[in-house]
Amino acid sequence: MRKSVLREIVFLGAVTFAGLVADKPVHSQDWASLKESFRNIQSVKAEFVQERHLQILKDPLVSEGRFFYLASGSLRWEYLSPLQSVMLQKGDNVQLYHFSEGAWKQDMAQGVEARRMVLAEMRQWFQGRFEESRIFRHSYSQGPPGRILLTPGEGINKFILVIEIVLSDRPGVIERVEITEPGGSATRIVFRNVELNAGLPSKVFDEP
Amino acid sequence: MNFRKKLKAGLIVVLMLCAGCLYTPETPLLPGASEDLESCAALFPSGPWECVHKIEAVISQGVSSSLIGITKGDPAGRELHTVLLTPEGFILFEAEQREHAMSVLKAVAPFDSPAFARGLMEDVNFLFLAPEGGPSKWGRTADGAILCRWESPDGTRREVTLSTVRKISLRDRHGDLAKEALFVVPFVKGLASQMELRVHKPAPYRLKMNLLPGTP
Repeated sequence: MRKSVLREIVFLGAVTFAGLVADKPVHSQDWASLKESFRNIQSVKAEFVQERHLQILKDPLVSEGRFFYLASGSLRWEYLSPLQSVMLQKGDNVQLYHFSEGAWKQDMAQGVEARRMVLAEMRQWFQGRFEESRIFRHSYSQGPPGRILLTPGEGINKFILVIEIVLSDRPGVIERVEITEPGGSATRIVFRNVELNAGLPSKVFDEP
Repeated sequence: MNFRKKLKAGLIVVLMLCAGCLYTPETPLLPGASEDLESCAALFPSGPWECVHKIEAVISQGVSSSLIGITKGDPAGRELHTVLLTPEGFILFEAEQREHAMSVLKAVAPFDSPAFARGLMEDVNFLFLAPEGGPSKWGRTADGAILCRWESPDGTRREVTLSTVRKISLRDRHGDLAKEALFVVPFVKGLASQMELRVHKPAPYRLKMNLLPGTP
């Protein structure tokens, strides 16, 4: 059970982290100023397109969604299609909902604990505290384009080989995140319409 | 003597009633046309297919979960390959079937038990692969529905019923309904746009499945 939770942590963490660090520093930044810019972010709002490449499928499974983040500890990670589902975090409270037959329904508890742990891991990441991660080793190349490589340690590398975060040419924006798994599967997330430090209403994090 | 005869007759009636309670009688069938048999077979994909479904798994009233299911198969070799994912794309379960041999490629808790793997693959077989061999009986019910019935040596029977509702049902050897699947038109390349699997035994649950556009 612990192993599967950890796998989910890594995967969900990678997917969600991709959004959280969007709108980060430009490719020419050194590591210290990159970390500093993480600390200056109070909120993030963005849309994303996620491609899930699996060996079983000829074409990737494409999902679209959006996310909202407050540095004070709130997160909304939402898929709009093909499934409508949303993960809400406020403080230590994590809730998962899916939309079905015209209404939001609370999802079974399965996975919620894992998501809580994901968010704890992510808190370190989006504060630029990569060194404190127990799961990933990091490396950074200034580029252009700037890239952050996250390499998992022994055990987790059976499920994820590497996570690559590619910074956009546009100052402060991440272009895409690519998660490579053994066996040819991969996830690619491309971000758009990123807004930094915008005012976000509280209900975004309270209601599905 | 008269009393003994009455007692005997009474016992026979009671036994018949009990037998009736224990076994659900088969629906009597009227002769059908040869096309009816083809209609039953058409409920299942006839060639290789690949599909993606969004799935709402309902365990009990008010308790449900959202998943993505990918299934690929070929009826010729009774081959199946199925993957179950979270909305985020995390693989919860992946298995293959060739002929009757199943191999689990990935499974995470709580989806890593042999019972879960067996049950899930049974459901996928039930939904996508026609029973082996021809039906033991087929024809029309009194209300005009097409019905094809396959009987297994273990006493279970599987029925395809085509009327305003298209469904497959599985009854156990006692005649009790174990599971049924309802198919909603339109069909896209041989696959129903919506399906609902209702499992009654041994543990009840429902899977509401919507075919995602663009697949196969």
